[in-house]
Parts: sequence; structure tokens; C-alpha cells
Amino acid sequence: MHVRRTIPAAVWAALIAGVLATGCSGSGDAQKQEQPSGGEAPKTSANVRPQPTAEGNKAEGDTLKIGIVVPINGDQKPWGDDALNGAQIALEDFNKQGGIPGKKVELVIGDSGSNTEQAKSAAEKLISDGVLGIIGDVTSSNTIQIAKSAFEKGVPVVSIGATNDDVTKQGANVFRVCYVDSFQGEVMAEFAHKDLGLRNVALLTDRKQAYSVGLSNNFRKHFEQLGGKIVGEEFYETKQTTFTGQLTNLKAKNPDGLFLSGYFPEVGPIVKSAKAAGLNVKFLGGDGWDSKEILNSGGEAIVGGFFCNHYNNKDTRPQVQHFLKRWKEKVGGEPGTTMAALGYDAMAVILDALKRCKSYDSKSLTAAIEETENFPGVTGDLTLKGQNGNPRKRALVVEVRPLPEGFVMRKAIEPKDLGQ
Amino acid sequence: MVPGAGLSLAAALDFGTLPSQIVNGVLNGAIYALIALGYTMVYGVLRLINFAHGEVYMLGAYTALFVSWAYGFRPDVPPDQLPESSLATLLVMMLASMAVCATVGVLIERFAYRPMRNQARISSLITAIGVSLLLQYGGGLFLPQNPPPTMNERVNPYRQTLELTLVGAPQQLSEVVEAARREFQAAERTFEERLKSEKDQFNLSPEGQRLRDAKFEAERRLRDAESKLNSAQVTVRVGAGRLAILVASLLLMFLLRQLVLFTPTGRAMRAVSQDFDSAALMGVNVDRIVTITFVIGSALAGAGAMMTATFLGTSITPYYGVLPGVKAFVAAVLGGIGNIPGAVLGGLLMGVAETLVIWAGYSQFADAVAFVVLIVVLLFRPGGLLGSSAVEKV
Repeated sequence: MHVRRTIPAAVWAALIAGVLATGCSGSGDAQKQEQPSGGEAPKTSANVRPQPTAEGNKAEGDTLKIGIVVPINGDQKPWGDDALNGAQIALEDFNKQGGIPGKKVELVIGDSGSNTEQAKSAAEKLISDGVLGIIGDVTSSNTIQIAKSAFEKGVPVVSIGATNDDVTKQGANVFRVCYVDSFQGEVMAEFAHKDLGLRNVALLTDRKQAYSVGLSNNFRKHFEQLGGKIVGEEFYETKQTTFTGQLTNLKAKNPDGLFLSGYFPEVGPIVKSAKAAGLNVKFLGGDGWDSKEILNSGGEAIVGGFFCNHYNNKDTRPQVQHFLKRWKEKVGGEPGTTMAALGYDAMAVILDALKRCKSYDSKSLTAAIEETENFPGVTGDLTLKGQNGNPRKRALVVEVRPLPEGFVMRKAIEPKDLGQ
Repeated sequence: MVPGAGLSLAAALDFGTLPSQIVNGVLNGAIYALIALGYTMVYGVLRLINFAHGEVYMLGAYTALFVSWAYGFRPDVPPDQLPESSLATLLVMMLASMAVCATVGVLIERFAYRPMRNQARISSLITAIGVSLLLQYGGGLFLPQNPPPTMNERVNPYRQTLELTLVGAPQQLSEVVEAARREFQAAERTFEERLKSEKDQFNLSPEGQRLRDAKFEAERRLRDAESKLNSAQVTVRVGAGRLAILVASLLLMFLLRQLVLFTPTGRAMRAVSQDFDSAALMGVNVDRIVTITFVIGSALAGAGAMMTATFLGTSITPYYGVLPGVKAFVAAVLGGIGNIPGAVLGGLLMGVAETLVIWAGYSQFADAVAFVVLIVVLLFRPGGLLGSSAVEKV
């Protein structure tokens, strides 16, 4: 029971952070006339990110343990496998470049099993095994559980693919290497409004996914700020098979664009039936589209659609080319999902921080991660210093082209392009 | 615009889309009906709720997928290298699905349900749930699911959309649209000319941006005109594939009706469903009839699965049958479980009810409405719409 005593402070802090955060987004409609830029929200949470009070783990002997929690089983397995391979490549690269003299870095693997309960217990196990820091998970809901456990114990977490805005509000020990949904929503709103000239966009949201609901709201907020109009929003649920009812409704609203914030297994069929329902509009989405399978499930209809992604295999940056070369050597082929590159970056960030550590314990590792500046990651240059765990980095707008082209990078949008 | 605009949007009813939505509902309902027939037939004969029926449906979808792959419609093939599809391809896929499902259905009956037939009914029910879970998770071990595959749309040779205008728009409006379209096409041409001299389509020079904005402007005017035209007319749009589902479902249901009403096997089936033991005493081979029931019910599920996988193109996973299975089961109960026309009526009713809820702007409750309808109907007619209301102990 002694653990309980430490919880209330954390819980209260998280609650306050949560209330402030939802307060901002909830009353966003009313506030937006007064505040011209959407960049305000992260700053208010700057003061509320609680510092973990626990001491964390200390390295014993010459082995520095880093934990990774990713789904090795369950329906998120493809992401977990890619992320793990990416992290292992990052560790090999680090050792090849000399590593840390006199020390050996060991990657300890935990399986989140694609669910929140297992993610939490895997993280707790790794922490009791003495890891200095944890990377993972690939999804937001799992990362939040990991972050809660890690906060209690004072261990830093670098998330791989949790894009939900609330993830890093758990505590000052939580970081990520991916962009956040509010940035992604803003990027797509900007692209839709400016580059595609859309003014009347309809939303189709997967009600079962917090990710989709959040992304739709962010898109709505920024698109309306730019002067565009959201002409309608309809909902569906993961695993639903017919969407004609929703699409007929949206067709009657006459949008010139359709923003599909869900994941690719539904987006593909939706786009196909949208075309059949007479919606000849531009299709847009977030990183949930990121799977080659969407080319097949979306058929001819998805061609010409745009979505936001972290990284693209055809990027010419040297980091990307190096990563692809190493991936080919170790795993073979090209990485199937963007989680491979993000897994690499999460590991690379924590290893880079480890090198700069004053002493080998969780506390100085957290401090060192916080000091990360202009780190040349595979998914872009990232800065964590003073960012509340949400890196300043770019997002790519990718166009869907027919095979063999696949996903073609169209535009890289940096935070400064949006005035942030 | 106004805070809360999203909410008020939901309450607005658009009667122009009502005919379309009813058609959508009937088309969705046809699939529910097809699956519901399997539940209802097995229940009618064995008094057993075959919870594994949804999983048989799932296996049918996978079979159709594999056959399409064997024809060369693999996902990694570039579109210009795909083979041509025809009605024959579809028929082969459907027959393969039906055959595999029928076999699986018979095997399930032979090895899972028959040994339990003389036990308490609850044992069979639990066995059914067990088989269902076995197929879901067992399928997860062997069937491709990462990422969830979908049928290539090129398998379906009927991809066009059929349009039927019920109420036409005034001539004047169409002329406005035509004028706007010409203007837009002119602006588009000018912009595309300009684009040839631009380096990057997404980082234009000022002149390029001006022409692009002019194009967008013209496009918006065209959209506005089209919008006015659309709201002035009432049009029903149906994908040819979805129509094919309806036609094939009706055909299969008609064949089933003929079989049950006018053949000796059908008569035996009806006899077994009325009284299992007496039918056996009268010389009906009960085991054979039960097998035939499973063959027919499972084959119908297979046909339904092949059609949804092909014409709707949804992602196939080992859990593909769970939601349709539950909905079809509800449809069967709604119509009166054990009653064949009841299953069809229940399926269609559910399809239409769901779509009407979406039409009314409450798409977030579409899945719940099925169960609300069920509860309401069962309150007043415990046996279902067409079922007998005799009290039974399960």
C-alpha cells in the first residue's frame, strides 16, 4: 500500500493538467476570435507538467539498461515489430560509432500486447528490472498507461508513435519523437485551405478511436480559423462495413473535400463507396492512412488523396538513406510502416541523451533528454528543449499514387511555416 | 461559425436524400437477411443458436479473397498489370466460398454439435460459443491479417454508379451549371499551361499562385451551382456492385423458398423443425436433414461473405464475422427465430432502421438502433415479428 501515498500528488497534477487542457479545447470555439494563433495551447500547459518526485533507477555495474515497450502480439503487431527492429538498428549504429566507453547498453524488451493493461504491467516490470529509461509505445492510450507508471517511479519515457496531445501532459518525464495531433490537424487544414483551395470540407470520424475524434476536432478548429467551413460531420465505428448512409448525408452537403481521420482499414472502403455515392472530392487524412494496404483497399478512388505522415521512404535526407540501407541489411526490404523510423529515432534520442548524462541514473537521463536540441533524426530534425516533451519537427504531406509509385512526398511543413 | 454548429447540423432533416437512404437500407438489409437465414434455419431444425455462423461467414470472405489472388488480383500488382475480370470469375469465387462454408458448417455440426445433441441444450450453446472463439483465434494464427487484406476492386467488373433522377431540376439551373463548368475548365487549362513552367506544384511562383487561386475560385462557383442543382432534384445513386448483391440475395432466397416448400427434402426439413422425434419415427433421416440444413445455411453465409468482400471491399480479419454475425442474429430474432420469411423481413427492417438513424443525423447511434428495435419488438411480440409466441425454456 505504500505506493498509494505517492499517487495523489501525481493524480491531482494530471487532473489539473487535464482540466486545463480540455478547458482550452472545449471552449476553443468561443476563444478563437480573441486569440489569432493556435500556438497558445501548449504554452499554458508549460507550468503544469508535474516533475516526478521519485528517484528513479540507478545503473549498476557497467550495463546501462534501456527498456522498450511495444506490441509484439495482438492487432498492433506490425507497428510493434517495425518499431522494435528500428530501435535495435539504432542501438547497433550507436555501438558502431563507439557507444559509451566502458559501458554496455542493453535493450530490454517488454510486450504491450496491443492493450493498455499489458502495456502498464510490462512497463512496471521493466522499471523493477532497473531500466534507466523506457521507449514506447506506438499508440497513445498505451503510452499514457506507461507514462503513469513511469511518473510514479521517476523514469523517463520517450514515446514512439503516441500523437494524442494529452500524452506528454502526464509529467515532465514524458517525451515523444512524433508530432502531435494538433500539429497534424493544423498541417492538413493549412494544406487543404492553401494548396488545395478547399473551403467546404466534411469530416468522417471513427467514433471508437480517440485518435480519430481528436484529429477531426483539431482539423475542424484550424480549418475554421483559416476561414474555411466544415459543412458536416458523420461518424462510423471501427470494423463497420457499410458507410453509404453517412456518405449520402455528406453528399447532400456538397463538400469540396472530405477529411477522413480514421485508420486505413476503414478509410479505403469509405473512399471507394464515397466515389460511388457521387462524392468527387479531394480526400484527406492523417497518419492513420499509413499502410501500403490502403492502395489496394482504396482502389482507384484513393489515388490523388493526401495525408500527413512523419517520414517517407523516398526522402533524400542522408539520415533516411542511411536508415533504409541498414534496414535492408538487417530486416530486408523496406519498412512497412512509419513506426520503424520513429522507433529508430526514439532509441537514438535516448542513446544520445545517455551520452550526455552526468551520472547514469533516471534523473540525469530525464534532464539530458530534455536538453535535446536539433537532433538529426530519420523523421526530421527534432528539438525537445523547452517543448514540454513534444518535439518541434516537421510533418510531411504525402500524396497517394497508384503502384508502383505508392506514397509520394509532396510538401514538408515545418512548425515555423505555421507561425509556431 | 457559431459555437455548437456541429450539433444543430445533426438535427436538420434533408428529405431530398430520404429515397437514397431507404435504398441504401434495403441494400444493407439484404446482407443481414442472407446471414440471418443461416441462424434461423439451424435454430428451426435443432433449436440451437449456431454462434459459429459469423465465423463461417468470415471463412467465406477469406476463401473469396484467396480465389481472387489465385486469379492474379494480388495487392502488390500494379493496376496496369492486373488481369481482366468477368462474371465467370465472380461466379467461381462465389461457388468456392459457398463450397468451403458448407464444408466447414457440416464439419462443425458433425464434430461439435452432434455429440452434444442429446445433452442439455445449454451444453450445445456453450459448444457453439467455443467453436466460434476457436475459429476466430485459430484463424488468427493461420490467416493473413497484418495488415488486414482487402479484395482488389478490379475483381468486380461492375464498378459504375447507377443514377436515377426521381425529381428533375429546372432547365435554367442546368444551364447555369454548364456555364460555370466552361468557366472552370478554361481557368483550369490556363493554370495547367502555367504549371508546365513551374518547378514544384506545391511551391508556386506568385503568378502561378494567382492562376491557381483563379482556378479554385472558378471551381467553387461551379460547386455552388452544382449544389443548387443537386438540392433542387432528388436522385438515387446506387453502385452496380451493391445492386448485384441485392439481386443475388433475392435469387438465393427465392431458391431457398422453392426448396423448402416444394421438394421432399424441404418437407422433411419442415417436419424435423416441427417435431424432431416424431419426424424420426415417421422415417425421416434426421441426421441427413440436419446436415443439409447446415450445408444450406452455411452456403448462404458464404455467398453473402463473398459479395460483401468483393462489392464493398472491406478489410478482412479473423473477426470479420463478429459484427455481421451479431446483427444477423438480431435480425433473425427480430423476425422470429426459426421462421424463414421472418429472417428476411428482420434483416431488411434492420438495414432500413440503421440507415434512417444515420439519415436523421445520429450516425453515432447507428449500431445501437438495431438493439433498440429488437427490444421494442420483443416487448410486444416476444416471438418476433413472424414467429410463434409459444413460451420456450432454453
